[in-house]
Amino acid sequence: MPADRGPRTLLNYSRPPRLPQLPLAGIRVALLVVVGLVLISSGVYTVDPEEEAVVLRFGRYVRTTEPGLHFKIPLGVESVIKVPVERQLKQEFGFRTERVAVRSQKGRRGFENESLMLTGDLNTVVVEWVVQYRVVDSKKYLFRVRNVESTFRDVTEAVMRAVVGDRTVNEVLTVGRQEIEDLVKQDLQVLCDQYETGLRVEQVVLQDVNPPDPVKPSFNQVNQAEQERERLVNEAQSEYNKVIPRARGEALQAIQQAEGYALNRVNRAQGDAARFESLLAEYTKAPEVTRKRIYLETMSQILPKAGRKVVLDGDLDGVLPLLNLEGGAVAPRSEEP
Amino acid sequence: MTRAVIAAVALVVLMVLSGALFVISEWEQAIITQFGEPVGEPITTPGLKFKLPLIQKVHRFDKRFLEWAGDVAELPTKDKVFIQVDAYARWRISDPLLFYQRNPGGERGAQSRLDDILNSATRSAIAKHELLEVIRTSNRTPVSDEAAFEPDEGQLDAIDTGRENIRREILASAKNLTASVDLGIEILDIQFKRINYGEQVLMDVYNRMISERVRISDRFRSQGQGQRAEILGNMERDLQQIQSEAYREAEQIRGRADAEAADIYARAYNQSAEARRFYEFLKTMETFAATVDPETWLILSTDGEFYRFLESSGR
Repeated sequence: MPADRGPRTLLNYSRPPRLPQLPLAGIRVALLVVVGLVLISSGVYTVDPEEEAVVLRFGRYVRTTEPGLHFKIPLGVESVIKVPVERQLKQEFGFRTERVAVRSQKGRRGFENESLMLTGDLNTVVVEWVVQYRVVDSKKYLFRVRNVESTFRDVTEAVMRAVVGDRTVNEVLTVGRQEIEDLVKQDLQVLCDQYETGLRVEQVVLQDVNPPDPVKPSFNQVNQAEQERERLVNEAQSEYNKVIPRARGEALQAIQQAEGYALNRVNRAQGDAARFESLLAEYTKAPEVTRKRIYLETMSQILPKAGRKVVLDGDLDGVLPLLNLEGGAVAPRSEEP
Repeated sequence: MTRAVIAAVALVVLMVLSGALFVISEWEQAIITQFGEPVGEPITTPGLKFKLPLIQKVHRFDKRFLEWAGDVAELPTKDKVFIQVDAYARWRISDPLLFYQRNPGGERGAQSRLDDILNSATRSAIAKHELLEVIRTSNRTPVSDEAAFEPDEGQLDAIDTGRENIRREILASAKNLTASVDLGIEILDIQFKRINYGEQVLMDVYNRMISERVRISDRFRSQGQGQRAEILGNMERDLQQIQSEAYREAEQIRGRADAEAADIYARAYNQSAEARRFYEFLKTMETFAATVDPETWLILSTDGEFYRFLESSGR
């Protein structure tokens, strides 16, 4: 035939000339093996370590299986839903972590509605928080609530606002944080149980709690004023500490000086008196001589010391003419070296 | 020939069975209608179920708790403050048959019926109460840090009803309304998810908060100045006290010493007429000796005693 005489291509060579007549039994065995493999592979499932698997047979719950390799009836009779019961789940409120890194970035835009809330003294405050939770009852988690996550978010927001609404803005911003976390966790668990979510709240953590942006500067001013108050008080206190101890020391010094004066005065008086007593004793023995002696002794002390000595005759009437010499007589003397 | 017949019969059986069998999951419930008319009891348990193929139809409904989210609307409270209330509710289809009959629109239709009921219940409850009652739950005593606030600040005004009771009020009236119209729906819970000031009010609130903070800052500053003045005043007083006490004590000591010295002198100099005379003489001599210095002119009269001594000794 003309077709057969065409060029012998590689394709023509590779085509098997004819299927060999296999025995019918062989085909059946191969078919069974293939079907068996398909059945087994669709009947085997693995559960990861952090999960457990809920098995439904025709939609009805039959069993829960632990992590590992398990079998189910294939061909859609049994179906498996895996629930990460060991995984800690987290919901963020008022922000979303945009990039998980050493320094995670927070995105706040668009979540202001989540975080802005009213306090019990009718102020507003911006609260950001995180809730960590786990699935503890996978049957309830799967079968009792539609959209568990969004339900959980709604409940958390409601509880947080109820708790914050019962507190003053000051409590929310400063002293009441721990109490709020504890109370929210407790109330949140009550509602989660009531709604049969199968969730357990592990932790509620307040993140940034701030006054709203337009009000922030005035809150900062309060802090500044508080600092200023501290500063003024400290300065005054330090002034006090600088002055008073010194004054106390000086007071003690003055008193000690007075004591010294007293000792000096009394001792001197005693000394003077003793000397006088002794002299008096001598004087009483020979009053005239002693008087004279003392007079002459004194004169002999004085005479060398005096700068000018003038002896006047007792018959002279006045001394005034002599005293006029003072200007002429004293001046040349002062020129001497 | 017979083989082909068997195969055809098997195929038909399979087709009929597939139309007759259906699966209801754990979270589902269903009713069966025949030419649009409900037949039999609603199916509320999960598993493999049967129906007549072709002529009966299955209508599935969710058995779980479902969500309802309210409109975010600005509502006035009793004290005429406009607030944005965002409520949510949980509900479920409690009677699938009734639900099927009363809610031709299915779940979506039911949601809009719920909107009417729950929004109006919320609105009327909010309008009946003052803002504070909606926000607060209890009359607890707030924790305040003593140093920072005056007694009148950091306090919570008393409330009568409270958030929780208002919430229950809304829930009760919503339950009544849904029960009275037989929707086949049960409302399980309603909560205030968010309550915030309306846009207009918010600015006023911010201004009030700012003025409140300014007031507190001013008080802190004046407190600081007051305490400073007090400390400095104390300092002045203590200083005066310390100095004057020291002066007093020192003068007392000096005075006592002067008195004692005077006493000692008096006892020595005043013991007799002779002693007095001698003291006078001695003191005169001492004073004389002390007053003479090189600038002194000493004028001695030959009539003086000194020269008389000279004369007498020369004679």
